[in-house]
Amino acid sequence: MSGWTAQGNTAQAASAAELRYRMSYPLVPSRGVRVVALDSGAEMVVRKVAASSTWNMARFYSAETILNSHGIHGAPVEVVLHGLDGAVESLNDELVDVDSTIMVATSDFGSEAAATIGAACSVRGIMTAGLVHGEDTEHTVSALRPYAQVLLVPADDGDLEAILTAMRA
Amino acid sequence: MLRQEINELLTKTGPGTEMGDLFRQYWIPTLLSEELPENDCPQVRVKILSERLIAFRDSQGRYGLVDEFCAHRGVSLWFGRNEDNGLRCAYHGWKYDVTGQCVEVPSEASNSRFCANVKLKSYPLVKVGDVLWTFMGDPAKAPPLPEYEFAQVPSSQTFTSKRLQESNWLQALEGGIDSSHVSFLHSSGLQSDPLFMGAEGNKYNLGDYKPYFEVVDAPGGLFIGARRNAEEDSYYWRITPWLMPSFTMVPPRGDHPMHGHFWIPIDDENCWVYTFDYQPVRDLTEAERQAMKDGYGVHSENIPGTYLPVRNKSNDYLMDRAAQKRGETFSGVGGIAIQDASLQESMGPIVDRTKERLATTDAGIIKARAKLRKAALALRDEGKTPEGVDPAHHRVRSASVVLPRNEAFIESVSDKLQVQPGVRQASV
Ligand code: FES
Ligand SMILES: [Fe+2]
Repeated sequence: MSGWTAQGNTAQAASAAELRYRMSYPLVPSRGVRVVALDSGAEMVVRKVAASSTWNMARFYSAETILNSHGIHGAPVEVVLHGLDGAVESLNDELVDVDSTIMVATSDFGSEAAATIGAACSVRGIMTAGLVHGEDTEHTVSALRPYAQVLLVPADDGDLEAILTAMRA
Repeated sequence: MLRQEINELLTKTGPGTEMGDLFRQYWIPTLLSEELPENDCPQVRVKILSERLIAFRDSQGRYGLVDEFCAHRGVSLWFGRNEDNGLRCAYHGWKYDVTGQCVEVPSEASNSRFCANVKLKSYPLVKVGDVLWTFMGDPAKAPPLPEYEFAQVPSSQTFTSKRLQESNWLQALEGGIDSSHVSFLHSSGLQSDPLFMGAEGNKYNLGDYKPYFEVVDAPGGLFIGARRNAEEDSYYWRITPWLMPSFTMVPPRGDHPMHGHFWIPIDDENCWVYTFDYQPVRDLTEAERQAMKDGYGVHSENIPGTYLPVRNKSNDYLMDRAAQKRGETFSGVGGIAIQDASLQESMGPIVDRTKERLATTDAGIIKARAKLRKAALALRDEGKTPEGVDPAHHRVRSASVVLPRNEAFIESVSDKLQVQPGVRQASV
């Protein structure tokens, strides 16, 4: 039997020498990733990461909540996204062709926005993650918990960048 | 993905590497105590963190871990004679004690001081529980001995096995952090393995394939909580602790023993997987202990007299497509440990992380890598002692609990994630 059959066609192929034959070609980047700061502290974190690298598929925003017409506290609110250059974008438009949305919070200030964004992602099948910065995270975490499939508690400065890189965003 | 230079930093553990220096801050498992069962028993070759050593137990029961090669002309001391409180080289008879000190050079005059000047590099080797531990860093900075619960309970309550894994340590560890694979790869084991089956929680595991995760930073490492639907008003939480650098525990099931792993680099392309199982408050039953010896649960069936798994790379892990078709295994490979090993080894000796594409649910792995890198750099640049060195950090437990939907694991069960002597594990 020829050598390549013995090596290449069995689990023995898991050697460094055989690994050279793993094909090399550009991997498809992730589809869109949206990063949304839920409060002003979070906006600082997001701005820093946005500027730290040239991201292909990630776009960065801060969320602004507008109470709905009933104006009742706790009722669903409308969310408007501000690009970091200040441009106003609609949440609906920005969630087209998106795989994941990462919400960043430093307080529970943005919990209503998180609810609206989380619900919008859920109906579209978009994965959601929440990074909770700061020391006293308990309230922020419970505000985000229902809407984030993954929560990092507490998140530190490098986490957002590490996650975006790992996702090829 | 991970940049290549970061992948190298995290995976290489030889002398002088950043991650190697990090590992050298901890007491780490080196052998099972059964490998040196009695005084003057045969010495054992040890490769750990890419250093070749020899371990022996002298006539007084002292353990030694010294350079494998004789200072005279470089012969392996595995061929030496372990006798009379020392290891004597088979070539010209130079003899060393457990500290590596040369105590006899037969060719020298009997009143010569020659041997006082000859010393092999050595490390301490200490028995805690069923494991022999070493500390390979600066001896002046050796921390107190380890206090992981599995090594603290009486020996009637605990069992440790080990197996060779032919892959870098990090991809093996990452399997221990990533609990979402259990519902797939190990699904059949939940229903048939004597050390898993019958637990109340299993049905929740198998009933919800899309867990929510909470990754909580903790002193010493992480707690990774995976939440699945339980009943209408409750969630089933499985909480996995990871301690730096390479200790993980699996959330328990019912009254089965608690278990976990240490992933210890042999060199950059192989690691030892130490697998422990214990009961915090009761003895292991004969049946439990026998099942562990037979390779059930998270243990492996090894080739007798070795720590090499029966199912391994050289025999395609005894892949059984028919059993897979019958629904007995998910991947066709039998045994939970080897299901993991087969997949992790298939990635290649050091997986090329520049080619990965992780998802949000991999946040635990991403965070663990980030913590390791940060700690390695802080050690290199500021000499900072990493988390997990302090034995207080060792006293963690995994847990599995059902909680009301509005409660968070980290607030509700934080006491259950700590060792409480005399208190049973939190397990459903
Ligand atoms: S090589 Fe060991 S005594 Fe000579
Ligand atoms: Fe596994």
